[in-house]
Amino acid sequence: MQEATFLILTALADGSQHGYGIIADVRQISDGRVKLRAGTLYTALDRLRADGMVEVDKEEIVEGRLRRYYRLTPAGAKLLAEEAVRLRANATAALRRLNPGLAGGAA
Amino acid sequence: MTGQEKLERGYRRVLACYPRSFRSDSEDEILAVLLATAGEGQQRVRLAEAADLIRGALRMRLRPASRPPRAVRGAVRLVCVGAVAQLAAAVTMIVTAASVRAALARQPDISVALRHQALSLLVFRAIGAVVAVGLWLLMAWALSHGRDAARLVFASFFTLITLTSLVALAQHGATYAAADTIASSAVWAIALVTVVLLFMPQSSRYYREAARQAAHS
Repeated sequence: MQEATFLILTALADGSQHGYGIIADVRQISDGRVKLRAGTLYTALDRLRADGMVEVDKEEIVEGRLRRYYRLTPAGAKLLAEEAVRLRANATAALRRLNPGLAGGAA
Repeated sequence: MTGQEKLERGYRRVLACYPRSFRSDSEDEILAVLLATAGEGQQRVRLAEAADLIRGALRMRLRPASRPPRAVRGAVRLVCVGAVAQLAAAVTMIVTAASVRAALARQPDISVALRHQALSLLVFRAIGAVVAVGLWLLMAWALSHGRDAARLVFASFFTLITLTSLVALAQHGATYAAADTIASSAVWAIALVTVVLLFMPQSSRYYREAARQAAHS
């Protein structure tokens, strides 16, 4: 899974958000490191919707423009959870090898 | 026109690269996000924004609606091999055309009409080979995008080359150049495997499902 996709799913993990909200949230989650652009976001959302990982929660009109809120589907939540566990296992292994004394007892 | 309108028009121009289905569904939405993330007083689409949008459009256009099963992916790969082989044949034909022409010119005992005929046949075959490369690529695209018609077209193509090879062999089997026979057998074998892959049960299920989805949208 690409990092952008992982962060988009994470942004939606605790409630629905609209496009701009996801961009702002991803920036915050990644500590300002990942600045999603609209093209990247909507290409990923299009794919995630087609795969049934994300769905439209609600739509509203703001200043004459359509605003859609997206949320995770159960399949999307499961995918994110599996990916998070995998990343944690990798990170733990890396830290344990770099620093046998400190990270050995974690988890 | 205000700066904001100018910027909006610029974004719309880049968004025109996206597939129509995406635009009718999400163009206004993505436009709102683009305008919200634009810089203060920005009037033009920035290069990085345009690059990001175009990359997204390409990705959306190139990827299939749903990931095809293994058999279909294998078939598409073989069709791509066919396109490469066809390209090689076209290039060889074009490169050797000049030497063939020179050889023809050195033959004093050939009539003008016959020389003309040989040359136009040469041009005709070279153009045909280039067109064929395009057809192979179109085939690969359509097959990977779940177009059932492409499957039938490929099966017809396979039947056609089987029949023409059989007729050609029956007519002048012994006089055929060995290289020619080997090349056409290789093409035939590739086409055979492709047809088998395309009509396996899992492939048929994929094409049926894709046709059903296309009917819905």
